[in-house]
Amino acid sequence: MGITLENISKSFGKHGILKNLSLAVAAGEFHVILGPSGEGKSTLLAIVAGLLPPDEGKIFIAAREVNRVPAQKRGIGFVFQDYALFPHLTSFENIAYGLRTGSLKKKEIRTRVDRYLELVGLADHQNKYPDMLSGGQKQRIALARALATEPRVLLLDEPLSNLDACLQEQLRTDLRMIQQKTGVTTLYVTHNRADATALADRVSILHQGRIERTGSLKDIFREPETQFVAVFLGVTNILNARLSSLNENTAEVCVIHPGLKQNLKIKVKKHPVFHREKEFSLCIHPEKIRLRETPEGENRFLGRIVRIEIDGDTLEVMVDISGVKLKAVMPKTSALPLEKTVWICFEADAPHPVCEGCNRHPDYLRDCRCRIAGK
Amino acid sequence: MTRHTENFSGRPVSVVSPDDSRNVMRITLTRGLFFDLFIALTSGLFFSLIAVVLFAMVTTTSLHEFFHQLRSPVVFSAVWISLQTSFAVVFLTFFFGFPISYLLALNHFKGKAILETLLDFPIVMPPLISGLALLIFLSGDGLAGRILNHWNISLIFTKKGIILAQLFVAAPFFIKTAKESIGAIPKNLLAASATLSASKFFTFRRLILPLSKTGILAGLIMAWARALGEFGATAMVAGCIPRQTETITIAIYMHAMSGNLETSTALALVLMVFSFCSLLVFRAIFKKKRENGYYA
Repeated sequence: MGITLENISKSFGKHGILKNLSLAVAAGEFHVILGPSGEGKSTLLAIVAGLLPPDEGKIFIAAREVNRVPAQKRGIGFVFQDYALFPHLTSFENIAYGLRTGSLKKKEIRTRVDRYLELVGLADHQNKYPDMLSGGQKQRIALARALATEPRVLLLDEPLSNLDACLQEQLRTDLRMIQQKTGVTTLYVTHNRADATALADRVSILHQGRIERTGSLKDIFREPETQFVAVFLGVTNILNARLSSLNENTAEVCVIHPGLKQNLKIKVKKHPVFHREKEFSLCIHPEKIRLRETPEGENRFLGRIVRIEIDGDTLEVMVDISGVKLKAVMPKTSALPLEKTVWICFEADAPHPVCEGCNRHPDYLRDCRCRIAGK
Repeated sequence: MTRHTENFSGRPVSVVSPDDSRNVMRITLTRGLFFDLFIALTSGLFFSLIAVVLFAMVTTTSLHEFFHQLRSPVVFSAVWISLQTSFAVVFLTFFFGFPISYLLALNHFKGKAILETLLDFPIVMPPLISGLALLIFLSGDGLAGRILNHWNISLIFTKKGIILAQLFVAAPFFIKTAKESIGAIPKNLLAASATLSASKFFTFRRLILPLSKTGILAGLIMAWARALGEFGATAMVAGCIPRQTETITIAIYMHAMSGNLETSTALALVLMVFSFCSLLVFRAIFKKKRENGYYA
């Protein structure tokens, strides 16, 4: 019951929305497509649902090509951002709507609707009209309505974005639980990272009409590979660098930064990306930076603490190395005062390169020679 | 009294001192008063004109005279013919108009703009001209006339002719209203229906019809009122044969012209009652719609 998309392209007028997009979602997987607003996430979902025809490309649901199959017959469930509940029907009738299109008997419909009302925890709201429900309740009914037809594939279009933060969190938990209970293949699009963190088995990052990266969110976060993914996921500490010397296992790079007051050289584990002559970017995760009073490790620089913020159990510390600002994370117990000069230390394997060229261009147009992880 | 100060860019800025503020208030107030007076006067004039005209007509007759007229066969036949034809028009309008509104509301196709313009044409065209066109079309030498003659069907100077003339003039009102109301159904509801495996007919019956119900009803009432009050096209196509093709409006005109103001007034009052009733129903429908909280 997986979903496979092959080279999907779609444009509205001259405005290209999706460009040769390919994606594979495994059966039973909860797949989240993460991307900024206006990058064609909803368009992609509408194409999978059959509400929009793609200009090019093929759509497979459960290994069967469905390009010519209308939405009515694709066996999908769709949850809309604005719920799209039928205003003239009660919660019960909304959920029963999809069941009445088939050949189910009245009694079966009754039991099925009751079961799904129970599943979303709104059994005592069955006679209410959508107007009388809160946003969260509406979205639960919409979810029950989509699931009641027992679709092969569930598609969700930013279903939580109209709800407040507290409700979002609650519904995320429920959604994940319900998906695991029903085992339905789920494709979920959102611009909200928190949704991806809480829900996804795997995440795809959509950027400029293409899937820029697919994988578990943890992997993507650890090695964002492209600057866009890094910035979009909120990865901090991105340094622009230029290679100065290449050794057998390590490389020495020179940090280039507009505000930099002195020459800053970093020893880095050798990555294939360094064969490239041009500038590139490195990202260092805050966890990998240690702040010490005495120098240690392969890279050590003297810097000044410029900001300290409490984030749950940890402290986020911003340090300044002669113009370059880096974020570090440390436990609350190790209290370092503001404005103190400390040693900023990290190992050679801490910085990880991010490259724009690898994903953007086909092989023959690439100006880099990198082969980043698995590509 | 205005002081001049300088703002940050060094340009002088006028500041009204507290003493002046009352004067300023009074100036804006008087300006407002003039404006309000103007609004009140114009609207007062307009509404009193309506009231006075209605009142003038009512006073030309007495209650006794009115009921006497109602019982006369002339008045009775005119009202009966009008009701017959206008309800036939409502039925036909719904039957033929609804598929058209569905088509125009939910489909995009080439030439849609042309169809919509054609639909507007009977609305903006004086009914007299519509009637003339129909007359030419249906007459013995006309395009349809010859075919109809062949089958021995005559529409001119008959009730069927009245229905056709009224339909021509009134149907666009229904089609437009119904189209608006179907078009106002949020597109994602239709999409949701499709993702729930609903066929087009299922969606139509369970979603489109219930949600556009009030719009359709309102459109039918508008078409009915329009058919009832139709004069020009009807007179052209059906002539003014007493007790055969004489609708209320035609009878009012004929009797007024021949100096029989009592009959005219009685008929006019009947027509006014009908119009008023349709207005009440129309308003009731829209009030209910607002209370329901969703746009239908």
